[in-house]
Amino acid sequence: MGLREYIIRRLILLIPVMLGVVILIFVISQLIPPTARVALFVSENPKQMKPEVVQYYIHYYGLDQPVWVQFYEWLKQVMQGNFGYSENFQEVVLDGLIKRAPATMEIVIYTAPLILLIGIWMGVNSAVRRDKPFDHFSRVLSILGTSLPSFFFGVVLSAIFIAQLRWVSSGRLSYLLGGQYYSMLKDGTWHVYTGLLTVDSLLNGKLNYFVDAIVHLILPVTVLVFIQTATMVRVTRSSMLEALSKQYIVAARAKGLSQREVIYKHARRNALIPVVTIAGLIVGGMMTGLVITETVFGFPGLGNWAASAAQHFDFPVVIAYAIFSAVVFVLANLIVDVLYAYIDPRIRLG
Amino acid sequence: MESKPQAAKLPKSRFENFKRVMQPRIKEIRFIFKRIRESPLSIAGLILVSYNLIIALFAPVLAPPKLYNPYLIPRDPELGFKIDPSPPSPTHPFGTTRLSIDLYYGCIWGTRFAFQIGLEIIGATLVIGLVLGMLAGYYGGLIDEIIMRFTDIILAFPGLILAMAFVATLSRAGWNTLDAALLSIILIGWPGYVRLIRGEVLRVKTEDYIEAAKASGATDLRIMLRHILPNSIYSLIVVVTLDFGGIVLTAAALSFLGLGAPPGYADWGKLIYDSISYAGQGFKYWWVYTVPGIFIVLFVLGWNLLGDALRDVLDPLYRRK
Amino acid sequence: MESERSEENLIQIKNLYLNFYTYDGVVKALDGVTLNLVNGEILGLVGETGCGKSVTSLSTLSIVIPPGKIQGGQIWFNVKGKSYDLLSLSEATMRRIRGRYISMIFQEPRAALNPVYTVGNQIGEVFLLHRKEELIKSTIDQIKKDLARASNLKRWIYRRELFLYEKMLKNPKSFLIKSASKIPIIRRFQNRVQNEARKRAIEMLKLLNIPDPGRVVDMYPHELSGGMAQRVVIAMALSCNPFMLIADEPTTNLDVTVQAQILLLIKELQKKFGSSVLYVTHDLGVVAETCDRVAVMYAGNVVEIADVIALFKKPLHPYTQGLLESIPRPGEKFVSIPGTVPSLVNPPKGCRFHDRCKYALEICPNVKPQLVEVENGHMVACHLYTEGK
Repeated sequence: MGLREYIIRRLILLIPVMLGVVILIFVISQLIPPTARVALFVSENPKQMKPEVVQYYIHYYGLDQPVWVQFYEWLKQVMQGNFGYSENFQEVVLDGLIKRAPATMEIVIYTAPLILLIGIWMGVNSAVRRDKPFDHFSRVLSILGTSLPSFFFGVVLSAIFIAQLRWVSSGRLSYLLGGQYYSMLKDGTWHVYTGLLTVDSLLNGKLNYFVDAIVHLILPVTVLVFIQTATMVRVTRSSMLEALSKQYIVAARAKGLSQREVIYKHARRNALIPVVTIAGLIVGGMMTGLVITETVFGFPGLGNWAASAAQHFDFPVVIAYAIFSAVVFVLANLIVDVLYAYIDPRIRLG
Repeated sequence: MESKPQAAKLPKSRFENFKRVMQPRIKEIRFIFKRIRESPLSIAGLILVSYNLIIALFAPVLAPPKLYNPYLIPRDPELGFKIDPSPPSPTHPFGTTRLSIDLYYGCIWGTRFAFQIGLEIIGATLVIGLVLGMLAGYYGGLIDEIIMRFTDIILAFPGLILAMAFVATLSRAGWNTLDAALLSIILIGWPGYVRLIRGEVLRVKTEDYIEAAKASGATDLRIMLRHILPNSIYSLIVVVTLDFGGIVLTAAALSFLGLGAPPGYADWGKLIYDSISYAGQGFKYWWVYTVPGIFIVLFVLGWNLLGDALRDVLDPLYRRK
Repeated sequence: MESERSEENLIQIKNLYLNFYTYDGVVKALDGVTLNLVNGEILGLVGETGCGKSVTSLSTLSIVIPPGKIQGGQIWFNVKGKSYDLLSLSEATMRRIRGRYISMIFQEPRAALNPVYTVGNQIGEVFLLHRKEELIKSTIDQIKKDLARASNLKRWIYRRELFLYEKMLKNPKSFLIKSASKIPIIRRFQNRVQNEARKRAIEMLKLLNIPDPGRVVDMYPHELSGGMAQRVVIAMALSCNPFMLIADEPTTNLDVTVQAQILLLIKELQKKFGSSVLYVTHDLGVVAETCDRVAVMYAGNVVEIADVIALFKKPLHPYTQGLLESIPRPGEKFVSIPGTVPSLVNPPKGCRFHDRCKYALEICPNVKPQLVEVENGHMVACHLYTEGK
């Protein structure tokens, strides 16, 4: 079967790519002298360790050995989840990642469906109403979306809504509720179910926290959605235009189908097939966008983590984030490719 | 595509030959401009790009440099070391930002800086991309596989993130952040070009005139330069145009994260980075974050519009071939 | 059904004008096309690429692809004793006609089929569109049968399905049916009628001599050969036993052997169903083989209409003569019509063929010739036959 072979082939190709990713990161990290590089392995702040201790760790993790041994040792650690210690945040890197992942997840959960829904809807309708006002409007929006730097957009929005109008604060919760949230966490009155504030607040029965969390999500989600949807709209529109020019559309009308049925039943399904492939790119773009957006809006997620670390040259964190993003990105693309092969019968059935 | 063969008339000189070959190209360029003039968005793109180009070229005239490195923004001695920004005034048309850095100077030289890094980066990625792409596409086989794996590895990272990792690590190892940033953007940029050019080479490789050239004994290099390259140029032009804006955007993003231009540099992203704390005071210091941002938007927008226009024009031309 | 069809013309196209509004100007594609299709015949519509034959056939279905626009004329559809101008009917009415009373088959069969839906789905679509009542009735019968020998649990489901289908029969557009078709699990009740459609699709495939129809019905277009795909397209077109079939170069892209099979098939089915066929082609050989009468088009005009034998024996219009002469024969020199088709953006005021015509008269560039009957049933649009007659 075409599909099974395809999936197997892609999975096998995954291995050299991931290996290459790790090797690349390793090569980059070699630029740092061993005394500093120890930070990639230990669980405490190397700067606060006595020199003998540092030497001990250098020897223990093989940093004085030839390159391939070093690579093996490091890879071993990475596979166990040991990304070292963050001098900037004063915490074990892995802990830092786990701590901040929910905040980012929360943004992603609301952004991704919006990008899909709005992007596809606008793209399809743009193509159907080609050269009419709606089309011009959405094309202008999508050009703006690709030309507007996300940080500029974010800074302006935060200046307006956070600083000037004071409708919302930065971060995930307002000052008041945020403080209460932390004290409730400490004394156990707040049960953490998912780490997602919007979900947890409902499960804990605190509606005001739910509203607060949603309100604080509006700005970052808006910025991310605006930028990413631009690409989505463009691709969907051109794909739909391509589909609408095909002979089977004329044939379908000749069968007696209404224009509406032809568009939504016949053209759209064909148009969405290539659109699936860029979903992977959108995931990548989101991860990049998160770095900037979380920074601008003070959201305590992975993006902010990486940005702050990068600023302070805290390489264990940046390296960990790079590996993490690569893994997510590669997996996302794999899923997307398989999905594409599945929904297009021409590929599925060879 | 070669020009139509003339009947047994030998060219008098190499210059004549050159003119003959260029004729259809000149016609094409005229056609491109005509089509650009037809669409308002394309005209807008052209205007924006030209406007940016003029500012970049005339930067020394518009804002005379005062320090040893013209990219370092001078501070006004009258304002001393006043930390907070000052509003727009006759001496400072766009106002000043943190530490009394003149925004007007910063934005003007920022344009020049944007062009400079843009050209450097595009130049480097193009060269690498052309060389590797041609090799991979033309020779195929093992060379192709190896080069493709390398591109896969770099493309496995979402754009900015690998650049961030690179800059952070290099800076930690003692590099200058600007050099590190430039190198990183080149690093994440070349795979895209390799793939593009390789694709074009593969497409053109199967055309008949390549076989003809081979049969008449042309060397591989000659075929690649004289036959394959000119026919791959259209999509390359479009991508380079669109990418120019994208690269400047990426560089600005890196600067925004503190990983690009050093302090005091005339770089739009850096200026916005400096403005973050003032954005936190609302509209009070609006010029500090608005002005550099507008400059960026006008720059990137211009290239995007121009790139789109070129694509709309070159695509049918391209397909016709 | 047979007795209701009269001997008159099924279709009469009168003075059809159509323009294309393009970047390069207004293309006057159809310049007063007039022709008629007699009940039960196969009419060939011949002409070179770009002469407007495909556009004419699409216009019959009131399908005009933008940037085209019909400027004037009528297309009379004479059926059941009444005459309808197809160009003046509403879109909703035309939709009831397309695929049911007038069908069309296309040049590249695999391009005319949607690649993401199965063959059965696409043939079934025609049934679901135009013969839904029949299908619902069959479904209801089937449910009743199932009810008789079902267990209690299934009984409950089947009764609900029966209820829905009876409602569907009475009022297909009701809110109940519309919403039921959208709700995830409930909408599975539609599987039954889709199954019925699938059964009918299999029957149609059998009719077109497609081997192993039970398997083919679930295949996708790209899995079929050219000939098979064309049979599927024909199956779709004949599903509702249409009065008229428009065949737009259906065999041009097929191998010669397959071409012969399909032509034979079309002729057989046409006799069996009693449909009339408008066969659009540029291949005179096919015309000679298949058609009863022929209409020749040039640059947006019909220049000659005749019985197929009369046309080949005694072509009257200079263009037709040129066409017949230019058919390559072994041992003879190549003859072609000098010159090229005029630009349709700035067509000549008079006869559009005059600049290539060796018999051109003074009047030809200035006055457009009209179609006149020269001999029994043989019509020409040429001044040669209206001047000194």
